[in-house]
Amino acid sequence: MSDHLVIVLTAGLVATACGLLGPFLVVRRIALMGDAVSHAVLPGIVAVFVLFGTRAPLPVILGAATLGVVCVLLVDALRGTGLVRQDAAIGLVFPMLFALGVLGVHRYAESAHIDLDATIYGEIAFAPFRVWEVGDLLLARSAVIMGAVVALNLMFVLLFWKELRSTSFDPDFARTAGFSPALVTRLLLVGVAVTAVTAFESVGAILVVTLLIVPAAAARLLVDRMAPLVMAAVAIGWASAIGGEAVATRLDASIAGSMGLVAGVLFLCALVAGPRGLVARAVARRRRPRPGPLLAAGAPGARPPRAGGGAD
Amino acid sequence: MTPASDIPALSVRHLSVAYGVRPALWDVDAAFPRGAMSAVVGPNGSGKSTLLKAALGLVAAESGHVLVMGRPLREARRDVAYVPQRDTVDWDFPITVREVVEMGRHPRRGWFRRLTGEDREHVDAALERVGMRGLAGRQIGRLSGGQRQRAFVARALAQRADLLVLDEPFAGIDARTEAALLEVLTDLRDAGTSVVMVHHDLQTVRDVVDHALLLNVRVIAEGPPAEVLAPENLRRAYGEVAGVAGAPAWAV
Amino acid sequence: MGGLIGLIPLPYPDAVVALGAALLGITAGVVGCLAVLSQRSLVGDALAHSALPGVAVAFIATGAKDPAALLAGAACAGLVGAVLIVGIERGTRLPPDAAIGVVLSVFFSLGIVLLTHLAHDAGAEQAGLERYLFGQAAGLLERDVQVMAVLAAVALAVVAAGLRPITALLFDRGFAAVSGLPVRVLELLVTALLVVAIVIGLRTVGAILMVAMLIAPCAAARQLTDRMPVLLVLAGLTGAVVGVVGALAAARGQAPAGPVIVLVASAAVALAVLGAPGRGVLWTARRTVRARRRQRAEGVLVDLETAMHAGAPPTAAELAAVSGRPPAQVRGGLADLAGSGRARADADGRWRLTETGAAAAHAALESRTLWAAWLEHGAHLGLPDAREPDPRDVRGSLGDVAADRLMALAGGGRR
Repeated sequence: MSDHLVIVLTAGLVATACGLLGPFLVVRRIALMGDAVSHAVLPGIVAVFVLFGTRAPLPVILGAATLGVVCVLLVDALRGTGLVRQDAAIGLVFPMLFALGVLGVHRYAESAHIDLDATIYGEIAFAPFRVWEVGDLLLARSAVIMGAVVALNLMFVLLFWKELRSTSFDPDFARTAGFSPALVTRLLLVGVAVTAVTAFESVGAILVVTLLIVPAAAARLLVDRMAPLVMAAVAIGWASAIGGEAVATRLDASIAGSMGLVAGVLFLCALVAGPRGLVARAVARRRRPRPGPLLAAGAPGARPPRAGGGAD
Repeated sequence: MTPASDIPALSVRHLSVAYGVRPALWDVDAAFPRGAMSAVVGPNGSGKSTLLKAALGLVAAESGHVLVMGRPLREARRDVAYVPQRDTVDWDFPITVREVVEMGRHPRRGWFRRLTGEDREHVDAALERVGMRGLAGRQIGRLSGGQRQRAFVARALAQRADLLVLDEPFAGIDARTEAALLEVLTDLRDAGTSVVMVHHDLQTVRDVVDHALLLNVRVIAEGPPAEVLAPENLRRAYGEVAGVAGAPAWAV
Repeated sequence: MGGLIGLIPLPYPDAVVALGAALLGITAGVVGCLAVLSQRSLVGDALAHSALPGVAVAFIATGAKDPAALLAGAACAGLVGAVLIVGIERGTRLPPDAAIGVVLSVFFSLGIVLLTHLAHDAGAEQAGLERYLFGQAAGLLERDVQVMAVLAAVALAVVAAGLRPITALLFDRGFAAVSGLPVRVLELLVTALLVVAIVIGLRTVGAILMVAMLIAPCAAARQLTDRMPVLLVLAGLTGAVVGVVGALAAARGQAPAGPVIVLVASAAVALAVLGAPGRGVLWTARRTVRARRRQRAEGVLVDLETAMHAGAPPTAAELAAVSGRPPAQVRGGLADLAGSGRARADADGRWRLTETGAAAAHAALESRTLWAAWLEHGAHLGLPDAREPDPRDVRGSLGDVAADRLMALAGGGRR
């Protein structure tokens, strides 16, 4: 498999994992909680290394999931005092956790090659070079791990589809039906934490956040129902991965950054040219009948039609 | 030359407002008389709040124009006091009742000048009128719903405007506060202020209001409440549901 | 400036860092209040991340030697980002947090692309990015601090001068608009102030942690005051203290300044939220516990009164049985009553009310009658103002005149 292909595949898997969860974040208006959780996992990675001396995937993922839960619980607790608003609570908790993580890296983990910059913007260019040997096959490590996360997220979404959908659109009704919107949110954010930490190695925190929010937001501009929304988000994510890799090669720039940029361009396209976009609205405005004859002639209250469509 | 008393306090012509594809107001003509208490009534989603907001320039209108006391809004801003709905207020905001009411003096006094003794008198008088003088030092979060609404009405009173515009002033208010505030408004009307409000309770409209506008995206009826609230009109307003055959395509 | 630095009792490099951190703290503290009070704190996060393209261009163009160019680049990019956020919010049905998230991540990606595309020296680009993301207080020069001081002075002056219209805008945008205030211009002004604060802070705490410096001082100060001018001053002070303490602690511990400052800020918020008199969590909890005890005691008091009227003075167990209250509650309530001299037990364990207790029971019963009367007749009472009764002490909160009238309306009560 060529290097380019491995890179695109890995990124595409990240996009899929994110695209499965992102739409729910956007619809539930917790997109920035996803951002926060992605940053909050850093101390988890450090803690696992410090406490258990390992950087193996499974313990690290568990550490990240724990920190994700901690982040959510702290935000809820702070907001629950009634003294701090939701947005302020988010903007206080994740920097605190992230600061702990940075200090932890600085103090304990210089030798662990936890490259701080890489956690932010990743180094997917190296993906083809980190391989596992399985028999005669050389498997790209990131792709395999990401594939596992995709499978996990897919299982989560399929299993909890009813709960996810009803708690997203009508939390009060969902509560009467026995679902717990808060629990679903927590599970969702744990999924985000796990996705984030596994994707860190390849694409870094910022691209994870980008792929969580931007394709879902673009999809939201295009479709209305949940299932098409998820599929569109995954599709746009893949397009960003493929396009981004091409752009990065052409410009000799960061691959993760280029993917984010392409996602942004696709969002812009949806904004301008989508069915509810700026162009469509301008056209509809021009086409809409001007105030004037509303009812058919002869009906009570009708007025005679004005010539020319009636400018005021 | 129309005599001053014939110029409506607030008039709109051919006003249309659309949120996205769906029109909220369609070709609305209305004239609210001077020195009278007027009410805008209609079912939920009929555009009542939108009418007020568009008249005051808070939402963009697609077409139509608005006159306040016979002049365009930008010339007549000083003559209008607005009491919006309370749903977007942050009750934890560090502001006291008195400071809220003082805000009402600044449009006239200028935002960069300190308030004069005369301003403070107007503020005190407004607080007294709504019964909030004793609570003036409280932060607004520490009030009941009725007390909060009194504070916002006091802000409008302090402006001493000729036209008072209120959006659902009695929504979510206890009966005692509603009675008290209604008395304040009728007293103002009797003294010559024009009052225009969105209101949901048709009985009050019948009893107290001089001029009514029944609205459901477009005007159903306008005039004295007894006529406007005739059964035929009410059926047309409240009985119609968007999406019924015969309505324009975009209403679905 | 050199004189000011010389006054600080620290070695020169530490003094420079301390001053820079103080400037960051004051500006972010005051300006951050504007974002927090309008519930747009995370826009600050977006602006901090959006600044990267501007920083990247300036960095490449000037080789990162010119702090003013970097600041200008960051400011321009930040403002463009802010305008886009508002545009997306107003123009689409996306919720505000999605708009913030889109601009934040796309701008940041653009910045990364610019940085990696235009820079031909991977090492310098890496260093620049790292410094942008995480700050680098240690390398602050006197010249940097001079620029920061000017920006801070201008920002604070603007806030002071424009406080009334800005407060009106933040509190009630609709009223501000109808009053004729230029709300879009004011919002742009607030955004520009945010950008200035961020630009000052990027150097010290970096882009990722900056948002905490905007929020924490305001969040902490809000627990201590209800008044806007006091809030702004306290927030500025808190920010300055947090900044200086954090920067100096970091220097001592040889750790990066940004994270230490943020942790100090978080501690300040935690302290304020927990311990603020009157409002803090611990105080509220104590108040609630006390109120529950008072209510329990009053309930037991009334039950005792009723029981004494019905027959012989009861024991605690009898009282529990007859009143339906759990025995542990009854015992606790009786203990409190004994402690406050309102009830007394005799040798047989039978409880009686004292004179004080009898009077208190009478007042409690009257309050309940009054409260029921208020619910039924309150609207017809014709109170002269907007006062409302406290259910625990209706007579005290309404006044004797109104209370007597209520009793009359209620037909004198049931005793």
